[in-house]
Amino acid sequence: MGISIVITSGKGGVGKTTTTANIGTALAMQNKKVVVVDADTGLRNLDLHLGLENRIVYNLVDVVEGTCRLKQALIKDKRFDNLFLLPTAQTKDKTAVTPEQMLELIENLKKDFDFIIIDCPAGIEHGFENAVAGADKAIVVTTPEVSAVRDADRIIGKLEAKGLEDHQLIINRIKYDMTKKGEMLNIDDMTDILAIKLLGIVPDDEKIVISTNRGEPAVTYDSSKAGQAYRNIAKRILGEEVPFINLDDEEQGFFASLKKIFFKK
Amino acid sequence: MNTITIKGNKDGLTVFVNSGTYEEIKRELSSRIDRARDFFSGSKLTIVDNQSRLTNENYADLQMTLRKEYNIDLLYGNHEIKVEKNEKIFTGIYEGRTKFIKNTVRSGQKICFNGNVVIIGDVNSGAEVIATGNIIVMGVLRGVAHAGSNGNKRAIVCSYMLQPSQLRIADIISRSPDDYKGKPKTPEIAKIKDNLIVIEPYLPNKYF
Repeated sequence: MGISIVITSGKGGVGKTTTTANIGTALAMQNKKVVVVDADTGLRNLDLHLGLENRIVYNLVDVVEGTCRLKQALIKDKRFDNLFLLPTAQTKDKTAVTPEQMLELIENLKKDFDFIIIDCPAGIEHGFENAVAGADKAIVVTTPEVSAVRDADRIIGKLEAKGLEDHQLIINRIKYDMTKKGEMLNIDDMTDILAIKLLGIVPDDEKIVISTNRGEPAVTYDSSKAGQAYRNIAKRILGEEVPFINLDDEEQGFFASLKKIFFKK
Repeated sequence: MNTITIKGNKDGLTVFVNSGTYEEIKRELSSRIDRARDFFSGSKLTIVDNQSRLTNENYADLQMTLRKEYNIDLLYGNHEIKVEKNEKIFTGIYEGRTKFIKNTVRSGQKICFNGNVVIIGDVNSGAEVIATGNIIVMGVLRGVAHAGSNGNKRAIVCSYMLQPSQLRIADIISRSPDDYKGKPKTPEIAKIKDNLIVIEPYLPNKYF
């Protein structure tokens, strides 16, 4: 029996789909059998992030309507044999699926996969209800902006109202020099406001744009800082203790490394 | 509300099952027929049972009783189960019904037409064009195109810039190669050759 995790945020454009694609790929790199489910019917994007857009024949809506079998709609990733995508329809809207159907679908997927990662649409309406219906856990993504934090707070409230108590936070697009100068919300402020467990911090990285355009998740790039952060997040999901990324790349030299050794935790 | 409703339409008489158990339905149906035995005798009845109140055995039993007692043919007419009439394969790929679309087909839009489709504009990524005949795009084709969707293998897809995410003709599916990032320089035409979709420049003499 697998675990289903919904990636949500409330606000749009904070990196839900990027996070879904990267965590899914990172877990597959750890030899887990993973399926990433796009719940953003009508505005699907996850296929582009994985570079699988030209392989879609059937989709989630076809599965719930009984047009095809679940296995027919699953698309195997080009790079990892144990990563699958369940795309959704682009020509329908959110009301094409009900939360009950979604729950049944996720229960079916749980039999075959270790992890089911669900990409939630922005907003708190029907699409959100669908995406959350089958989830055991939630990962809330936010960026260091007041608007994103407020929306994340609203989403956490919504999740708790639904009885989904197991939720963790990913702070995306941190710019270290800005937080240091106090121009951006810092990590402690955000965890203070939202009062949930921090799962990971992802630095702002230009490589993400390149990776999305090419359809290759950043975790497959060794040099990408964001990719490294997502690999660590995947390890934390698997229960490993990994220290948070050190974002301070200015502080280097002998004393800095000495300090690191002595003040690691 | 009655357990059953009997309505007449162009295909004959239809019995709609609304409520009740099989026994109630059978009793009601018999009494209705008894009231106008001459009218019903020798006719065809279609039974529509969208709530699935009747099992297959019930249905067979009912069919037999009606045939024996009233000489009525009972047909099963559930809307969901009813097999669509096998529509003839649209063969009008040289002439025939054609739909013209004079704007860009954007992501999320779906054009379905029983005939040929001509798009005067682009078909963007995420859009779908499904036609039983040919598909001609007077612009860039970036989305999904499905020509000859009811099985016509002679259908073609033709575009000024053929860059579809996926091409389907009849029951054959192909997709663009993963490592190919080039743009076609000439208008191209896609058709089936030996059960594979091949793409070639149209008017080959002009470009070579």
